[in-house]
Amino acid sequence: MTAPSSAEAPWPVRTVARKVADWIGRLGEVWVEGQVAQLSRRGGAATVFLTLRDPAADMSVPVTCHRDVADRPGLELTEGARVIVRARPDYYVARGSFSLRATEIRAVGLGELLARIELIRQLLAAEGLFDAVRKRPLPFAPAVVGVITGRDSAAERDVLVTARRRWPAVRFAMHNCAVQGPTAAASVIEGLRRLDADPAVEVIVVARGGGSVEDLLPFSDEGLVRAIAACRTPVVTAVGHETDTTLVDHVADVRAATPTDAAHRVVPEIGEQRRLVEGLRARARHVLTGRLDQQVRWLESVRTRPVLASPDRLLHGREDDVLALRTRARRTLAHRVEAAERDLEHARARVTALSPAATLERGYAVVQRADGTLVRDPAEVADAERLQVRVAGGRFPVRVDRTTDREDENP
Amino acid sequence: MSTPDAAEPTTTYEQAREELADVVRRLEAGGLTLEESLGLWERGEELAQLCQHWLDRARERLAAAAPPDGAGQD
Repeated sequence: MTAPSSAEAPWPVRTVARKVADWIGRLGEVWVEGQVAQLSRRGGAATVFLTLRDPAADMSVPVTCHRDVADRPGLELTEGARVIVRARPDYYVARGSFSLRATEIRAVGLGELLARIELIRQLLAAEGLFDAVRKRPLPFAPAVVGVITGRDSAAERDVLVTARRRWPAVRFAMHNCAVQGPTAAASVIEGLRRLDADPAVEVIVVARGGGSVEDLLPFSDEGLVRAIAACRTPVVTAVGHETDTTLVDHVADVRAATPTDAAHRVVPEIGEQRRLVEGLRARARHVLTGRLDQQVRWLESVRTRPVLASPDRLLHGREDDVLALRTRARRTLAHRVEAAERDLEHARARVTALSPAATLERGYAVVQRADGTLVRDPAEVADAERLQVRVAGGRFPVRVDRTTDREDENP
Repeated sequence: MSTPDAAEPTTTYEQAREELADVVRRLEAGGLTLEESLGLWERGEELAQLCQHWLDRARERLAAAAPPDGAGQD
C-alpha cells in the first residue's frame, strides 16, 4: 500500500494516475444511450474519437473506439445520431483523460430489427423447432466433421486446430462461405445442404467469431434456422461470443460458446480416451484376477479337507471295525472250544467211574465162555471146557477141571 | 500344469465345482458303504483336477493377454 499523501509527502503524478486507472479499470462494461455530439476520424488512425451527449441534460462523455466499430457496414455514424454504445470506462494514464472504450455501437432503430427477430423466435418456438426432444446426440468420434466458416477466419482455425489436437485422426469437410452481409444466410444454407448430403459427414459445425449484432443478423435468418432444423446430420453452432444469442443457437443440436468449444464438443480428447480405456482395462483385469484368486483359494480349501486330502482316513474306522469283530470272533470260538473240552473231561471221568476196570484192578476177574457169555454159576460150565479169564492186566485162557471139585469143597 | 488340449473337458468349471462341493458334503456327512466312499473320493479327485485345470487355463489366458508394462505409447 502507498502511504497516505500529505503536504510533506505528496504522491507523484504516476501514482495518482495509476490509482485512478486501477479504480476505473475495475468498473464493468455498460450499455449507454446518447447522441453523437462530435465525431473525429484522423486520417488512417485506428482510433475514432466521439463525444456522447445526454440529450436531456447538459452532460457528455468522451468515447473512443476502433475504426472497425465505427465503420461497421449498416451503421451510419454521423453527428447528431442517436446511438446505443457498449463500452467500458477507461482512463488513459499518459494524458490523464477519461473515456468510454466502445466495443459496439448500434444505431437506435436496430431495436425494431431485434423485435422482429424475437417475433420469429416465438413463432419457431411455437412450431417446436427449439424443443429439447429434437436435439440429437453428437457422434462419439466422427470420422468426418463438416465445418462451415468464413475463409481463413479465426473461427475456422480455432475449430481445425483444436479438433486435430484432441483427435489427430479427425478429417474435415470444409465449406467456406460469407458469414456476414446480405448473402451470408444463403451461403451458409448452401453449405448445410452440401455437407448434409455427404454421408461421410457425421456432424456439422457452423462457426463464426464475435461481431456486432448486425454482423450476426444472418444467423437469425428464418430460412437458415429451418435449414438447420431440416438437417439429418447433427449441427453444432458457435456464433459470436458467448453472450450473443442468435436463432441458430436455439435450433442447433448443441450450442457451443466459441469455435474452440465447438471443437471440444465434437471430437473426444484422445489422451483422455486412452486413459479411460486403460483404466477400464485395468479394472477388468483386476476383477478377473480377483475372481480367479478367490476360486483358487476355494479349490485349495476343498482339496485340503480331510475327506479329500487323506482318503486313508476312510479306511481307519473300518479297519478297527474289522479288527474288533475278528477279536470277538476269536474269543467266542476259544470259549466254545474250552467248554467242549471241559464237557469231555467230565464225561471221561464218569465213564472211568462206571467202567469194570476199577473192579478188575482190585483183583476181581471176569470169566467168559467161548461165545463171550459171562460165567455166573459153576453149574454153567462143563468139565474141560475152555474159558477166557479177564483180569486188570489182560486176558488169558483156562480149562475147567472138575476132578478137583471135591478137594476144593473139602479141604 | 493342465491336461493336454486334446482332452479338453466338456464339464464347465462351475459344473465341476458344484459337483465337487456336493461330493465333499456327502463324504463328510458319512453313512456310506466303503465302496461308495471310495467311488465318491475318486470322483472328488477327478473333479478337483478338472477345476485346477480350468483355473490354470484361465491364468494362462490372463497372462497371455497381459499388456507389456507402460502400454499405450503408440
